[in-house]
Amino acid sequence: MSTLPAPALLRAEGVGCRFGGVRALSNVNLAVGEGEIFGLIGPNGAGKTTLFNVISGLTRASEGRVLWRGGSLEGLGPERISRCGIARTFQNLRLFDNLSVLDNVRVGMHRVAGAPLAGALLASPAFRRRQAEVQDQAMELLELFDLAALAPQRAADLAYGDRRRLEMARALATGPSLLLLDEPAAGMNPAEKDDLCARIARIRERFALTVLIIEHHVPLMMRLCDRLAVLNFGERIALGSPEEVRHDPRVIEAYLGGRPAGQDP
Amino acid sequence: MDATLPVQMVLGALLGLSVYLPLATGQLSLATPGFYVIGGYVAALLSTGVAALGGGEPSYPLPSLLLEMGLAALLAAAVAVVIGRPVLKLRGIYLAIATIALVEILRVLNLNLPFTGGAVGIFAIPQPFADPWGYLLLSALLLAAVCWLCARLGAMRLGRAQAAVRDDELAAACMGIDTAQVKLTAFVISAVIAALTGVISAHFLNTWNARQGSFDASITTLAFVVFGGSRTWVGPVLGGLVLTALPELLRPVGDLRLIVYGLVILAGPVVFPQGVITPERLQHWARHRPWRRPSPRAGA
Amino acid sequence: MDTLLQILFNGLSVGAVYALFALGYTLVFSVLGVINFAQGAVFTLGAYFTYLFIGGGVGSNGALAGLQLPFALPFWLALLLAGLAAALVSVGVEAVAFRPLRRRGAEPLLYLITSLGAGVILVNLIQILMGAEGYALPAGALGWLPVTITLAGASVRTVQVLLLLVAAVVVLALTWWLEGTRGGRALQAVAEDATTARLLGIDSDAMIRLSFAASGFLAGISGGLVGLSLSITGPYFGIGFGLKALGVLVLGGLGSVPGAVLAGLIVGLAEALVPGEWSGYKDAVAYAFLFAVLLLRPRGLLGRPLDTRV
Ligand SMILES: Nc1ncnc2c1ncn2[C@@H]1O[C@H](COP(=O)(O)OP(=O)(O)OP(=O)(O)O)[C@@H](O)[C@H]1O
Ligand SMILES: [Mg+2]
Repeated sequence: MSTLPAPALLRAEGVGCRFGGVRALSNVNLAVGEGEIFGLIGPNGAGKTTLFNVISGLTRASEGRVLWRGGSLEGLGPERISRCGIARTFQNLRLFDNLSVLDNVRVGMHRVAGAPLAGALLASPAFRRRQAEVQDQAMELLELFDLAALAPQRAADLAYGDRRRLEMARALATGPSLLLLDEPAAGMNPAEKDDLCARIARIRERFALTVLIIEHHVPLMMRLCDRLAVLNFGERIALGSPEEVRHDPRVIEAYLGGRPAGQDP
Repeated sequence: MDATLPVQMVLGALLGLSVYLPLATGQLSLATPGFYVIGGYVAALLSTGVAALGGGEPSYPLPSLLLEMGLAALLAAAVAVVIGRPVLKLRGIYLAIATIALVEILRVLNLNLPFTGGAVGIFAIPQPFADPWGYLLLSALLLAAVCWLCARLGAMRLGRAQAAVRDDELAAACMGIDTAQVKLTAFVISAVIAALTGVISAHFLNTWNARQGSFDASITTLAFVVFGGSRTWVGPVLGGLVLTALPELLRPVGDLRLIVYGLVILAGPVVFPQGVITPERLQHWARHRPWRRPSPRAGA
Repeated sequence: MDTLLQILFNGLSVGAVYALFALGYTLVFSVLGVINFAQGAVFTLGAYFTYLFIGGGVGSNGALAGLQLPFALPFWLALLLAGLAAALVSVGVEAVAFRPLRRRGAEPLLYLITSLGAGVILVNLIQILMGAEGYALPAGALGWLPVTITLAGASVRTVQVLLLLVAAVVVLALTWWLEGTRGGRALQAVAEDATTARLLGIDSDAMIRLSFAASGFLAGISGGLVGLSLSITGPYFGIGFGLKALGVLVLGGLGSVPGAVLAGLIVGLAEALVPGEWSGYKDAVAYAFLFAVLLLRPRGLLGRPLDTRV
């Protein structure tokens, strides 16, 4: 196992989560350092999305806790956690379908887009200037994801790949320091995957981001990530550099379809 | 010309907007008639019970009317905050049923409380205006103000947050939107609009009783929105105006008019599932900068 | 002064009506996930049908003034026929107010409006045909049965005993049908997952029609029973029952059959126990329960946990 890079931005301490009889997570420990691209892999149903849900406040952990810059996130709702600087995308895309592409991003800018009520109601020049600024910033983000030309369209009308990119743009609009990406390359062809890889690396530089990413495509993860954690049946079975994880016998076993010893079906 | 029907139509449009605001936030609240009744009782009780407000003049003074409106708005807002916090945690049909229950509880209270006049209610409510035209002016001003508010919401972050919560509440929360606050804000504004409408209505009708806020009223006002269209504020206004006028316009068909009314609200959603007015149709009619979220700002 | 036993009997018999009504909602809700607001009107129709079949005459105000059917059926047959007639009407309501929307995959909100539209039409048809006046079922409608019987020293109205018995039989029959027959299980499969059910070869359209028929039958029967035991207060009299049954429905847990029965009896009993000087507030009891349960246990007494999957 590799040593943790110094100040952990995000740390999961003994996180467990159960739904009725299903143990989706048990005793998961990991620490993500500032500026890292940290990968999370594991077979279907391993609990990866559940870990994201716990971090982003959508699901309450039944045991353990998540620390953010050393402070506990326990009991905070998703909106509070978003304001801490944690943004996410969803495995099965949750765009605001009836809103325009531009408005999807502007909703992401909710926190910074506030304005005095009186000015807003009277459409004062100051308010209009501010709105124009917000719009410019939103357009800039869209440009970064090659979506600017689609700005007026309804999000529901976009092609699949565009929708995936729009969700990332929307998450970035919240101004996060940690970005959680849940299978961003799902359903993409190899060229699109390469493009996505390069884009993630680019936005990390540009926004000084830390990225936590779930993805099934292992070669892509090996290339992209600084470190990887592997989940299987809710347990973290490996953690380390791509090279270390690649040769870990437990990982090989998990991916070849075996169950870890001592676990009943 | 008699302005009675136009006044009723404008009041209907206001109630339509009161139902529309929570719905634009994805919340099916049927509480509007409850707040409407609260507003009406505030007006009825104050104007018949507090002699000082009458000012000894033949017609009820306008400042007293405005004072009633202020108090009714405050009371409705307070009730909406207290009730809204727990109730807005409920979703979908649960919220609808809870708000129906709220309206029914208010109705039972109004029938039984010692000061609301029982089943007969309160009558001889003084008139601030000599004829319906005064009422028409006042209610049209109120309608214009509420329309302006709704139109501005489209350009404000609150309006975008409402639309986001309506589309996907969970994703909206993940964008840092305090969804509980957004829903509560819409609920409170809706309550205030309904209460203000109730004040005008009580004076206009000259009498007020518990029947004004019944389940029927919940559904009628919801029909305004569904018929007109719930995706822009123009829809509920149109729905309120037209559906309020309909039973009156149908008077010639006599007993059949309620059946025709039933047919209209039965067939309306089938023929226009999105309502008669949709953002797309509006955009089609008046092409304005298309990248704005489809919201009819030009009309206000 | 009523004895406690009489009060309990009053409460239970009213509660049984709420339970039947709520069961009707439940059947449609579990299949379609929507509330059928026309059910109050179907309930009212059931009462009027019972009245007519039993040999009652139309008053002087409606278009049918003076009409009387040429036969007078015994009450149990009248009740059964009224239930069947109400079931037919309910299927009709499905055809005009639900199916066209379902074809278009419309939002659930719209069903609320269209079903209410159907209800408005039905209620006003009754009003036009039979007038706005109330109707009391003729004395002696119960045939040779005595008006009251003595149970454990207290005298109870026979209608109420009948009402309870009929309600119990109907609930048992419904449970048996749902759990023990192919048709009932197919209905449950559709309720669980319409798409999978379709793949299994279940005709979900037919099942939906069936659920409307069953819920209409329940509404019709309960309308007839209330008409027998109280009286028909006019074309609108089903609405109040229908609204309270909504409270009962949520109290029991949406979609739960035993929950609806339990909640119906609880609300009926609680109303009966409201002391006389507060009787004006009786109508608020069901809603007060509803609020309490929504705030403390949103899934209702016997409902399933709400799905919170992300
Ligand atoms: N809200 C919930 N209620 C009940 N069970 C749940 C819930 N959320 C997740 N689960 C269960 O927890 C387990 C882990 O699910 P999770 O979605 O986290 O897996 P995953 O690793 O993201 O899988 P995939 O690669 O398929 O996305 C699964 O068995 C799932 O069915
Ligand atoms: Mg997943």
